[in-house]
Amino acid sequence: MSPTPSPSARPISEALLNRNRFRFLGLTPGEIIKYFFNGNAVVAIVVLALITIFLFREGAGFFGQNMQNLRIYRLAGLEYVDFIRRQVDEHTAMNRALNESRLAQFNRLTAAGRTVEEVNTALAPFDAFATAFGDSVEDVRGVLSDLTEVATAIKQKDQVNRDRLEQKAMLLGAGKSDEADKITVTPVDFAKETVTLKGTFPACQAANQQFAGKLQAALATAPAMPEAKLQKQIDTVQAQAQALIASLPEIERQMQEWKHDAPIPLSRSFTSFLFGRQWLTASFWQDWYGIIPLFVGSLLVSIIALTIAVPLGVSAAIYVSEIASVREKNFIKPCIEFISAIPSVVLGFFGIAMLGTALRALSQVSWLSWFPGFPMSERLNSLTAGCLLALMAVPTIFSLAEDALNNVPKHFKEASYALGANRFQTIVRILVPASLSGIISAILLGFGRVIGETMVVLLCAGNRIAIPNFTEGLGAFFQPVHTMTGIIAQEMGEVVTGSIHYRALFMVGIVLFLLSLGINYVAQLIVRRYRISIG
Amino acid sequence: MNPTDTKTMQSATADPDSADAAAPAMIEVENLDFFYGQAQALHDVSIRIPANKVTAFIGPSGCGKSTLLRCFNRMNDLIDVARIDAGRIKIHGVDIHHADVDVIALRRQVGMVFQKSNPFPKSIYENITYGLQIQGVKDRKQLDEVVEKSLRGAALWDEVKDRLHTSGLGLSGGQQQRLCIARAIAVEPSIILMDEPCSALDPIATSKVEELIQQLKTKYTIVIVTHNMQQAGRCSDQTAFFYLGKLIEYSKTEKIFTNPAQKQTEDYITGRFG
Repeated sequence: MSPTPSPSARPISEALLNRNRFRFLGLTPGEIIKYFFNGNAVVAIVVLALITIFLFREGAGFFGQNMQNLRIYRLAGLEYVDFIRRQVDEHTAMNRALNESRLAQFNRLTAAGRTVEEVNTALAPFDAFATAFGDSVEDVRGVLSDLTEVATAIKQKDQVNRDRLEQKAMLLGAGKSDEADKITVTPVDFAKETVTLKGTFPACQAANQQFAGKLQAALATAPAMPEAKLQKQIDTVQAQAQALIASLPEIERQMQEWKHDAPIPLSRSFTSFLFGRQWLTASFWQDWYGIIPLFVGSLLVSIIALTIAVPLGVSAAIYVSEIASVREKNFIKPCIEFISAIPSVVLGFFGIAMLGTALRALSQVSWLSWFPGFPMSERLNSLTAGCLLALMAVPTIFSLAEDALNNVPKHFKEASYALGANRFQTIVRILVPASLSGIISAILLGFGRVIGETMVVLLCAGNRIAIPNFTEGLGAFFQPVHTMTGIIAQEMGEVVTGSIHYRALFMVGIVLFLLSLGINYVAQLIVRRYRISIG
Repeated sequence: MNPTDTKTMQSATADPDSADAAAPAMIEVENLDFFYGQAQALHDVSIRIPANKVTAFIGPSGCGKSTLLRCFNRMNDLIDVARIDAGRIKIHGVDIHHADVDVIALRRQVGMVFQKSNPFPKSIYENITYGLQIQGVKDRKQLDEVVEKSLRGAALWDEVKDRLHTSGLGLSGGQQQRLCIARAIAVEPSIILMDEPCSALDPIATSKVEELIQQLKTKYTIVIVTHNMQQAGRCSDQTAFFYLGKLIEYSKTEKIFTNPAQKQTEDYITGRFG
């Protein structure tokens, strides 16, 4: 380099101080790129925040409305009437059991070659007993029907008032005060109205007495059953009926103590949702929003799905990562991952058209009848949905478990082989324990996948809103259920925006959201711990 | 390399040194050709490794010394593309690729210590007993004895005897490597293969492992791959120099380091390449 400035020195200094670089809105290209990506990340976070806020805002109103719902239930005396209704409901359930018992006896006798007349004659004592049993509740039913009318009338009066108030507010809001003044609202005097209800107490008591007496008499005539299984059924009914009779004085005491204006604790609004065993909407009597049947349904279906998917997914992962040849690996991996490409509605369709029918046909095979719960009465039930969900969870569990197994440092495996371990010992004693936390998190994420799935359960779970009857043991797995995801998809289209039902569905959504969040969080926590322990 | 060189090398290989011709050969390799897929990693290697001696394999990276070591316990079986095209390996006079050879029994005879210390993520006790438990040994007393014996054998007993049931990963690097040696001798092999056992250790830990190697050679035949020529000089009886998949020179260690027969060996040892 010569000390004298060369001809090129000037352009270099100019290039270094270039003030005419391209700018757009005052930003250099580098900054534009930075803000573009930054902006995209921000949008994602903002959307997530908006969804969360929306969910909680819409859902939060539920508790106020549910409180109101519960208050009306008490104020209008529906609660009082339900004391009596419970007796009738329990009696109806027992009556159903008796009918089933008769059907079983009928089938048993016709199978033995008797004609219909002979069978009917043989069953005459039973029929007499069943009729007496069925008739015993008539008095109570009569009282109940009267009371129902009274309580419904009170509730309706209140509803009319409420609608009027709303209309008035709307008119006032629109500035039509003249028309608004024409609407008169007289608040319902619940104290006065419910006096009628409470006034019927002696009649109720009398009806109860009649009921107890007749029931007792009917029970005394119960014929002996020809078979141990049938006898057991009748014994159960006997026990239930005796328990009902024994509970009558307690119910009467509760009725006497009942007050329409007794305060309802605020927590009831939460507990009736979280621990409510009934999800009953658009009912003529009283709506209940209890999440338990839906929660249990979701859980049951998920358990079935995981029971099937975990062994399949984890074994496939072990096979592919440790045993398979390169060619097998290149065939199996895409195949399993392809399952997740099947749209869930197609799987659901397959479930309805094929799997449900096939499973029921299987359950009707006579030499499988020893299996508890067989034959299934419903084609679409938790098992059908669970099998399909398992199919959807397998790719998730497989991929993540395979990653976990591949992440086990190679030198663990080599050390094991070098000590003379065979392949099976190396897998069971070294690889699986070393990747256990990864496998567990794979299972958890599979669980998250399954519990959030909607279309398959909506199509295949049978959609009966009831807690499965767990007294049937394994049979509970063959009963139709409804799920949290399914109910939202099914009912959200039909509800009035802002109504209690609408908000209840949002609450279900929030529970789902929190559940998924929890599962994912725990899974990540486990994975992080795993990384530390290896490193 | 010209044909004359190859010939001298061959003759040197078959009978490394007059003194060792008398010693019984533990491992005999005859004209071994080894491939990874299409790439040949070992060319016509023949070597006799005597019993109860320390034999060091030296050579630059990629020269095939680790590959040969891993042939002795058939660890290369785990690599799909690895294959042996020609030649034989005999241990105790048995061809280890013979159809009747049980690879699991072979690995029990031929223990291995790896470059990176690799105790299992289990307790020290379980690390030592792993090799026995997979053989079905359940007797607690026997396992206890083996643990103590192996740890003493690996000069680790005094350091860990009070924490046998803590994780093996909690030990220092040098202790972990000695734990791996203890784990290897717990199954009582006759040969111990060491693949650069000290490359990740500091000088103090290294000297402890080297001391241990000297003690172990009374009972075991040891083959050690090393990049550290001082280490080869310090602790081996025989040294084999490999270059580009060929065995260039194999002789007594003093001879290799003081008076190598081959020019390449001399260049490598004096640090002119490698």
